[in-house]
Amino acid sequence: MDMNEIKEIFFQECEEQLAELESGLLKLNDGDRDPETVNAVFRAVHSIKGGAGAFGLDDLVSFAHVFETTLDCVRSNKLEPTQDVLKVMLRSADVLADLVSASRDGGSVEESRTRGLLKELEALARGEMPTGGGAAEAPKPAPAKAAAPAPVPAAAPAPAPTDESGFQPIPFTFDGFGADEPAEDLSVFEVSFKPRRDLYAKGNEAALLLRDLSRVGEMSINCDMDQLPAFDKMDPEGAYFSWTIQVKTAKSEQDIRTVFEFAEWDCDLDVKVADSSAEELPMVPVPFDLSILDDGTSDADGDDGGAAEAAAQAVAAAETATNVTKMAAAAARVEKKESQAAAAAAAAAANAANAANAANSAGQTIRVDLDRVDRLINLVGELVINQAMLSQSVIENDTTGTSSINMGLEELQQLTREIQDSVMAIRAQPVKPVFQRMSRIVREVADMVGKSIRLVTEGENTEVDKTVIDKLAEPLTHMIRNAVDHGIESPERREAAGKNPEGTVKLTAKHRSGRIVIELSDDGAGINREKVKQKAIDKDLIPADSNLTDEEIDNLIFMPGFSTADKISDISGRGVGMDVVKRSIQALGGRISISSRPGNGSTFTMSLPLTLAVLDGMVVTVAGQTLVVPLTAIVETLQPEASAIHSFGANQRLISIRNSFCPLVDVGRILNFRSIQANPVEGVALLVESEGGGQRALMVDAIQGQRQVVIKSLEANYTHVPGIAAATILGDGRVALILDVDAVVAASRGQSLRQDSGMKADMSLAATG
Amino acid sequence: MASGKAVTGSLKLVSVLDLNEASVLHGQLSSMRGKDLSIDASGVDRVGVQCVQVLMAAANAWEEDKKKFVFETVSDAFRKTMQLIGINIDHLLAKEIQQ
Repeated sequence: MDMNEIKEIFFQECEEQLAELESGLLKLNDGDRDPETVNAVFRAVHSIKGGAGAFGLDDLVSFAHVFETTLDCVRSNKLEPTQDVLKVMLRSADVLADLVSASRDGGSVEESRTRGLLKELEALARGEMPTGGGAAEAPKPAPAKAAAPAPVPAAAPAPAPTDESGFQPIPFTFDGFGADEPAEDLSVFEVSFKPRRDLYAKGNEAALLLRDLSRVGEMSINCDMDQLPAFDKMDPEGAYFSWTIQVKTAKSEQDIRTVFEFAEWDCDLDVKVADSSAEELPMVPVPFDLSILDDGTSDADGDDGGAAEAAAQAVAAAETATNVTKMAAAAARVEKKESQAAAAAAAAAANAANAANAANSAGQTIRVDLDRVDRLINLVGELVINQAMLSQSVIENDTTGTSSINMGLEELQQLTREIQDSVMAIRAQPVKPVFQRMSRIVREVADMVGKSIRLVTEGENTEVDKTVIDKLAEPLTHMIRNAVDHGIESPERREAAGKNPEGTVKLTAKHRSGRIVIELSDDGAGINREKVKQKAIDKDLIPADSNLTDEEIDNLIFMPGFSTADKISDISGRGVGMDVVKRSIQALGGRISISSRPGNGSTFTMSLPLTLAVLDGMVVTVAGQTLVVPLTAIVETLQPEASAIHSFGANQRLISIRNSFCPLVDVGRILNFRSIQANPVEGVALLVESEGGGQRALMVDAIQGQRQVVIKSLEANYTHVPGIAAATILGDGRVALILDVDAVVAASRGQSLRQDSGMKADMSLAATG
Repeated sequence: MASGKAVTGSLKLVSVLDLNEASVLHGQLSSMRGKDLSIDASGVDRVGVQCVQVLMAAANAWEEDKKKFVFETVSDAFRKTMQLIGINIDHLLAKEIQQ
């Protein structure tokens, strides 16, 4: 594994840690005071810092360090996580995320922003509340934390000197010990340190930790070797030694704990002031210059041992992913040995438990290259097609119809469908990451416009195909910005209307009949219909005398070029608003609708397919060709009667459906399959809903049936065909084209078929192969 | 990788005895079980706790077998690490290098 791969893993883990960090902070913001939540948040920043140190990402390390210091104050209850404090922390989390992506993709983060936040974080760590003043009453935070040898590069802003004296660590050897003994009172701490197997597995080294500990003060040590099993029964990579150490030092308990900070979760550690009455253990003093044991890397700056070590540990941590299998194997080994050896029971049992934990967690997830999954999906698609072809040829050749082959085929069909479903499930991902990104957008936009807004998310574990997730972020971002900028009123206005000055934006996801439904609602003022209608008239989008229902007025906001913002702001109102959103949702094969109640807010509802790799379609015949119409577009199908068909102008015809007229579109004509209009009475009409919201009746010759088809890109395999979104292969091996309903409807309105509609482009992107 | 000398019963430790070496070392020592063993630790620059565990377990095993288990020479780094982690190997040192 080369360095770049390790780095890539680090960045992937950063993503996870950042998500963890944000969700933890949001939980705290909601009043969660569970220490585990605080710990999780702390751990997230800590891990990022550790990894970043390994790759020399100095900006990231220095920021994470200050952030971590402040979080530590929260963890040790020295800083109350009030809303104001959390606001700073959430913004810090955003900057941390920016620093991570800047480190990954190049670029930089606005320095003033980072510096400003660093100051705020340092102020918090000093116990100054963000509202100003109050520093005198505020409790002093952990003085030791910042004084510890922290991996902060010299060029970076210094961490909070929380100790009044601004104490900085000094390289320390035992040479001439006593001569320059500090005047302060020395206290004796007793440290009991028992590494677990994981500590070593993650690349930490107990000897190095002990070396660092020896730098804190005068150290005596006792190694407990009682747990060491017999030679032939031991696991060479197990953890058997444990230590009791006495450290005589002028420094604090926190300094001692800092030495173990990267191993904290993988060892049993107890630090206390030595009790003179305690049972005396034979201690060996360690009074000599240990510099020979230093790594070459830390020789340059003696006080930076922590950094070098953190670096080494982080690299190892990054490698943990690859070591996991090894550990699992080791676990199996340990268990096997255990069954043979009762003697080493205690040590081995603890060991096996640890290893088994590692094995369990290894079983939870694996990282797989997306390309490989795509390839698998593609192959399964081929398998489905092949299976359909096989069934068809058996049916054609086997006239008896009762053979066991038929039964076998049916089972095969069931199996292939199951395989297909399972493979699709591999690509399914929870919408959580996208939702989490939204909370940041809400924060930032709300800050910009001076509103106070809470984002509530629900159903974030709802899963949907990765391609859908990737394409969901943009329209959602747009809508969230709109909701914050236009939807929610200013705090004053909200108060005047008797509402909570803090607005709420709610984002929910759920599965409904094989689709994912995402709802975005706000508790703002709702759509001002008068204003919307007037704007539409002003912009010539509708005639001045049009008589529109409330729903129709609401839907005007989806019209191209519509924007109600009085002034153009940074956030929204550039006139590329909701029509773009609607188009991208439609490009995903989805629909969007709005419902609004004046004074009570608006709700946008989006319904999207779970995957873009397969599609439920209606297989139809048009002029001897087989076409597939996406089922999602079809509202109903009907057999037109002669009495319902009305001519309209030279070539147009209308069909009357339940007292309303709907334009009849001959698909065969539009696609140039035939030159003469077909007789509607001999065909079938598919009532479809199109982009503009209106309905059209698509005329086809016959319906063959309904089935799930695997989408194949036409662009990748042939070339773009106007009016066609993609292709598929049917059971008989023939290629069937998937109709681009919106393009066909647009063409029927007189627009050229050559004009692109978003649908085909995106479908071809999503198509496999 | 640690490698045995041509002479039976002697083992020269490699310079870096870290996590990756623990299993290797265990394997090498296992294959020498039952013989008197002299170990050359003069080239050791770094030694991790897991390798020390293996060496100490081996020392116990050799003692049980009533076989000789001696460090012929040790490097400064090796000796200091042992002291640092609180392990006394004086009784395992060859007479001439005992201090």
